[in-house]
Amino acid sequence: MTIFLTTGSIYLVFILNEEGPLRILFNLLTFAGIYGLAAIGLNVHFGLTGLLNFGHASFMGVGAYVTLLLIPHAAGREGEITDTGLTFFPALVIGIIAAALFGLLLGLPAIRLRGDYLAIVTIAAAEIFRLLVRDLESVTGGVYGIINFSESLQIYKPEFLINFSERFELNSSQMWVGLLSWISIFIVLILLRRLTNSPWGRALRAVREDEDAVRALGKNAIWLKLQSFMLGAGIAGLAGVFLAFNYGSLQTTTFVPLLTFYVWAIMILGGVGSLTGPIFGSIIFWVIISETDRLAQLIFENANGQQLAGVRFILVGLLIMLLMIFRPSGLLGKKEELLLDVKSS
Amino acid sequence: MLKVHNLRKRFGGVKAVDIDNITFEQNQLTSIIGPNGAGKTTFFDLISGFTEGDEGKVFLNEKNITNSQPFSIARQGMVRTFQLTKVFDRMTVIENMMFSGSNTKNDSLFRSLMKLSTQKNNENLIREKAFEIMKDLNIDHMADSYARELSGGQKKLLELGRSIINDPKILLLDEPLAGVNPKLAEEILSIIQKLSDQGITIIMVEHNIEAVMKISERVVVLAEGSVIADGNPEKVRKDPKVIEAYLGSGNE
Repeated sequence: MTIFLTTGSIYLVFILNEEGPLRILFNLLTFAGIYGLAAIGLNVHFGLTGLLNFGHASFMGVGAYVTLLLIPHAAGREGEITDTGLTFFPALVIGIIAAALFGLLLGLPAIRLRGDYLAIVTIAAAEIFRLLVRDLESVTGGVYGIINFSESLQIYKPEFLINFSERFELNSSQMWVGLLSWISIFIVLILLRRLTNSPWGRALRAVREDEDAVRALGKNAIWLKLQSFMLGAGIAGLAGVFLAFNYGSLQTTTFVPLLTFYVWAIMILGGVGSLTGPIFGSIIFWVIISETDRLAQLIFENANGQQLAGVRFILVGLLIMLLMIFRPSGLLGKKEELLLDVKSS
Repeated sequence: MLKVHNLRKRFGGVKAVDIDNITFEQNQLTSIIGPNGAGKTTFFDLISGFTEGDEGKVFLNEKNITNSQPFSIARQGMVRTFQLTKVFDRMTVIENMMFSGSNTKNDSLFRSLMKLSTQKNNENLIREKAFEIMKDLNIDHMADSYARELSGGQKKLLELGRSIINDPKILLLDEPLAGVNPKLAEEILSIIQKLSDQGITIIMVEHNIEAVMKISERVVVLAEGSVIADGNPEKVRKDPKVIEAYLGSGNE
């Protein structure tokens, strides 16, 4: 059913767009790759360890800001140019580590909290992060954001991608970001598959199931949770960097709580606890987000743009509701490991 | 082996635990009984590190473990079970066992990422041991089932198996027979007896007086947080204070 839904939604892109469906498809797949990556990170937190993290946007933000500030860029009201800096890949590694460390920093006081309490603290911390970044204009560019950083990544763009993009009239810079995000998904999934089937993954699942029992059996549950928090935050940081490069400029408004909830929706659609689920969840989610205006246009001929934009959220909500009723474990989640017990027995 | 001095804990105005001195000898099977609310589980929570006491000290093998983290107490050889069974529901039975049998080194992120061969060998050893124990407990046929699919009694067995896989010196059993059918209760009792014969010091909280009297070498009676009787089952059974605590005094 997952494959059917995914191909079906991609097919929809071709039906609804007579002009340049490929361009739209690749734009959508780039977003799907980036958000899918973030959802994979969130799944480490929630699916694997049971941590209710509602501050995912801040992890993405830390990764993006740290990486971009380390490479040549322009920032702030005057567009002050910093033309020296690291090359892209070392900066990316530092950005990921910074996101993981932010996870540690946030986790140290907060990770002892259970369930909903952790959710409240993470959502607050994410907002604090966003507002700090907005107000520290001299460092982060504040509301004016960061621009002119794309070159650091685009100089690595391979020849074949440029040729391919020219042939099909695609945006080669975006294609490159999209390709990198899907390569990252591939690598991250290979590593995670190793980890979830390992004794470490088993320990995290035990923490998810019953923390007291874990402690009673001689294991340091807090340290395990911190490790999980850092790993998921690092993956989110990576996704955040690609998100910035996809937009071509970095704005604080990108990291509002809505971003976190998008990532949650994707994870739930794909299947909580499923490794590859978020990928499919993400593709379907983005088809809905980007194509429903067109679909709705066909149905509601007189609606204006604003009304149409609302329709997509109705559809996402509807899809999630239907999914929760008929397939609460998501598209690819294991029924036996169902985490969201919506139908309490 | 396990010594407790002046251990006190209050919940608001209620004295939950108020014990002056008590020592548990090596290799003895001790039962703690008492009416509901006598502080038995709180006592377990205090000595296993799950609750911080208001005052008092706990020594395990002469080492002060007062207010130590539960995991550190467990690593020193004192492992507890819970009144309401806490198995890892959405993990298989064998995973439950192996998680417990594994140690921090074996669980490490680094080793897991590198897939070191030492880890693989370790895992095989742990799996063998887990199966040995599961066979003894008669749950080995359930190895690949999710723990949530087990019956209440089987969950109790799994929890017991999980807590003995690391060869603890002291086992704290919180109502190991609660909610278990009579036949299985008999079985669990004989397992406890066997563990005791193997040299594990056992302290158990249990409401099934008959079972307690049958297998215990020593019975401690708690009422309103304090020890009101302590001795062999025969002596305790006849103690007027115990009878009063259980049946209530006439003038109340």
